[in-house]
Amino acid sequence: MRLLLLNSLLLLCLLTSCTNVYKGLQKTSGNPACITQFRPQFDNTLYSTQVDVMKHHLSGLLFIKQMPDSSQRVVFANEMGFKFFDFEFTKDGQFIKHYMMDKMDKKAVVKTLRGDFELVLLHPDLQKATVKTDGHFHYVVVPTAKGSNYYITDLSCTKLERIEKSSSRKPVVKAWLTDYKNGVPDTILIRHQAFKFNISLQRVQK
Amino acid sequence: MRRWIIALMILCGVVQANAQQHPGYKPVTDVAGFKQQFATASRQTQSIQCDFVQEKNLSMLADKITSKGKFWFKKENKVRMEYTTPSYYLLVMNGKDIRTKDGQKESHVSTKGNKLFEQINRITVDCVQGNVVDNADFKTTILENAAGYLLEMTPVNKQLSQYFKTIVLLVDRKDLTVNKIEMYEAGGDNTTISFLHKQLNVNIPDATFAAK
Repeated sequence: MRLLLLNSLLLLCLLTSCTNVYKGLQKTSGNPACITQFRPQFDNTLYSTQVDVMKHHLSGLLFIKQMPDSSQRVVFANEMGFKFFDFEFTKDGQFIKHYMMDKMDKKAVVKTLRGDFELVLLHPDLQKATVKTDGHFHYVVVPTAKGSNYYITDLSCTKLERIEKSSSRKPVVKAWLTDYKNGVPDTILIRHQAFKFNISLQRVQK
Repeated sequence: MRRWIIALMILCGVVQANAQQHPGYKPVTDVAGFKQQFATASRQTQSIQCDFVQEKNLSMLADKITSKGKFWFKKENKVRMEYTTPSYYLLVMNGKDIRTKDGQKESHVSTKGNKLFEQINRITVDCVQGNVVDNADFKTTILENAAGYLLEMTPVNKQLSQYFKTIVLLVDRKDLTVNKIEMYEAGGDNTTISFLHKQLNVNIPDATFAAK
């Protein structure tokens, strides 16, 4: 009985958590820099926003503005003007938290949101990037401290399928940027894989 | 309307503020007379229906977000605030029942055990009695000019002051209804809500205050 249990656990481990979902990817030729064409050209952009975190639901307006010094500000407030956070992403990759409402101002929350928006702003360091494929898509692989970010495109790198922020074995966050108009996606969806934390953005006229 | 507008401001959370200068205004000479008029007008207002324009001014970004919608108030305690642009958002307050609805979800806001909402209730009662200007949670300065009154309310309550630094109400001299709310944050941002095309004491069905 004990042996059966052990075997079952091992099998479960092999089939799920221990599986490296990127294991089958093969190196291929291609220019990693092709993904920079999908970098959103946020100038002065407003999104109607819904955030679902565990049992909580927040809605509001997310404002992304390119500042004169080329930094980008991301401000999220509810419809009535109550500000949730105000972040700055500088041109050289620095992050500045200008404001975070008290109840949300936890290190883990700030770190998570920072990571999520860094994915969407799409400014990866491509120096160590490689290109892989599964035969259907190209994966521009950008190594990170805890795994890799995968920028997944069609084979000719004309369409961004999605972005995956991953541990060494599996995605922890997936992001979709779709319906680009004048270089700015109309819809952005960010989904955490390990727990319920979804951010949904729909562009609205400012 | 005044009490619900103030309740609304607290719901918004927002605000802290900096000392404001109010050119063109001078202190009200007959404060007691103003308070009496204010209370009388409050008692006589059965309903208000109007449009509103909200501006969130982001000082560091030198930019603003403008929202528009419709506002309904009906005595004793019903408010519907429906944002139509740039996106849909609905806030309905019917007594202690507060509901919100965005593009995706309807939510119920519980006031039980929530200190902030207890304070809203307190302010509500003060407004019903027409003595909001005597509310001990705020230090209120009353100014006037030819067009109306300006109430500068500075929270003295610690919890409220985390949200508000200064709230300014601009009150119409003719009907003593609020024309504009200005809410000031410590960081320099502010939110203003202007109430336009007001219709007083029109018939508003109770069904308006269901979150639909």
